[in-house]
Amino acid sequence: MPEFLIVRLYGPLASWGGIAVGQYRPAESHPSWSGVLGLVAAALGIRREDVAGQAALRESYHMATLVHTEGTLLRDYHTTQVPSATVKKRAWPFATRREELSVPRDHLNTILSSREYYCDTLATVALWPMVDDPPYSLAEIAEALRHPAFVPYLGRKSCPLALPLLPQVVEGADLYEAFSAVRFPDQEILADIPGRGDSGTLFWDSEGETGFESENTYTAPRRDVPLDRMTWQFAERDEHRAQVLVPEGVR
Amino acid sequence: MSEFIQLHMLVSYPPSNLNRDDLGKPKTARMGGAQRLRVSSQSLKRAWRESEIFQEAFDGHLGIRTKEMGWQVYRALKSGQGLADVLAENESAPVRPAIEEKKAVAWAQQIAGRFGKLKKPKDSKDDDEKVDPEKQKKESLCVEQMVHFSPAEIAAIDDLLGRLAEGGKKPEEKDLELLRAERTGVDIAMFGRMLAASPAFNCDAAVQVAHAITVHKVAVEDDYFTAVDDLNHRDEDSGAGHVGQAEFAAGLFYAYLCVNRDLLAENLDGDEELTDRGVEALVEAAAKVGPKGKQNSFASRAYASYILAERGSEQPRSLSVAFLKPVEGDDYLTAAVDELRTTRQNMEKVYGACADGCVEMNAATGEGSLDEVLAFVTGDHA
Repeated sequence: MPEFLIVRLYGPLASWGGIAVGQYRPAESHPSWSGVLGLVAAALGIRREDVAGQAALRESYHMATLVHTEGTLLRDYHTTQVPSATVKKRAWPFATRREELSVPRDHLNTILSSREYYCDTLATVALWPMVDDPPYSLAEIAEALRHPAFVPYLGRKSCPLALPLLPQVVEGADLYEAFSAVRFPDQEILADIPGRGDSGTLFWDSEGETGFESENTYTAPRRDVPLDRMTWQFAERDEHRAQVLVPEGVR
Repeated sequence: MSEFIQLHMLVSYPPSNLNRDDLGKPKTARMGGAQRLRVSSQSLKRAWRESEIFQEAFDGHLGIRTKEMGWQVYRALKSGQGLADVLAENESAPVRPAIEEKKAVAWAQQIAGRFGKLKKPKDSKDDDEKVDPEKQKKESLCVEQMVHFSPAEIAAIDDLLGRLAEGGKKPEEKDLELLRAERTGVDIAMFGRMLAASPAFNCDAAVQVAHAITVHKVAVEDDYFTAVDDLNHRDEDSGAGHVGQAEFAAGLFYAYLCVNRDLLAENLDGDEELTDRGVEALVEAAAKVGPKGKQNSFASRAYASYILAERGSEQPRSLSVAFLKPVEGDDYLTAAVDELRTTRQNMEKVYGACADGCVEMNAATGEGSLDEVLAFVTGDHA
């Protein structure tokens, strides 16, 4: 019987980045493969520059996400003060931010960006091996999530988790059985999240049956497969989605 | 597994506009479906790292800030003494061959020139006053702006001076490049640095800061204001010289930050003492310093009213769920402290322990103290 690792992602703000070029930094309403992979890698202590370690994770697991409520979009207007290019060239690198900004006022410029977040979003994520000999067992990943090496977050570092992930390894013939087998004891704590109901959106990346009953499945490409964390390059994958009934245990 | 230090704070700001959006309005967010006031994590971090508390805490440890490094390098070359001794004004014995005057000036200028634009010394021709040649020489060895030198960098310069003195030849381009090597400041170790162009200088932030969000619903208010021209003597009209509108709101914020102490120590090359001093300065700044937006209009300085600090290796989590349901009533602070405590207890009940220990400070009831919190966050480590 296949095994699944299931965690719950909740924080007041989440920012699963979309394609970001220049000053517009969009977010999507459901977790990205790069974001969840980054969270797992951080827990395991696999660094950004560890290209092989990152690739091994990327190529060894499937992900499915059940979004209970996608929340509301927040667009944050962001300004950053930076010294002019000439000052920077001359004095780089600066020891402190204070020093960086201690140049005469007319040598300081402002960079604008617009960053998106989602408020009040709640999702449950399942991971399972894609290959016979994955680099980490699901139990090992679960233990790392309970005692992480680096702090896990929801897409952007300023978006901390506001609940324990409560990783659970469960057996099930398919995703539906796996999601039905877990229990989250925090229903009371989350009672005030608006928009939660019986229905949710399931996103998955494998070809097999999910076990969920759904009438329409929609498939779209999503560019969230991290190729290189240092050069920030991403590849596309096919992501399937369907409106489903949320199993009792995770509702 | 790493050790995490988590800080949960309640900070009350009077009417203010600390952190504005593109329309000049205070930033907001929705939580639990209700509109809240928000101060972005970037805004908080900027206020802390620019604060005097940060500066004072690290001044000694971060080396020295000076315009006179070139002059000190010249003195070291001329006397053959170690650079650190010259800087400390120690009467020490020479450690290498002394360099003759002309070369010492030229090499010191070359080195100083890498850190900033050299000053143009005053010429006696420009002025009737007689210029002291020693003073003129010193000036020619100084740069125009303050430059920060870390202990590691001072050691690197000293190392170069040794090689120059032994070889007797002027510094090459690649010798001078060495001076720009590693110099990670404490604030960079905490808040990180990301540079696509020079990844060698990247540093992963050891401190995570959440956006601060009010524990209660907030309606942003408009202040319609007029300003009368002081020179309007009502001879012709008595109207206002300017009318405008300013938006503001008051709120009790929940602020959260998490320090990965292991990563911070690593970013600081394993310097435990500096790591503790960093954590201490961060917590003190977080408790006492807020964003300065529109201070002249609102004077909204505030200290944290309540702090809960936790330590442990369990997965960090904020306690924002305590305020998913907006706090109501006529005593937000007491209600918010109660909610925070209850949520923490309930979370421990359903999930098991979320930290190894915690301390509290409550300025409303006079319980606990910031000193106790500081002692806790820098106490013995597992």
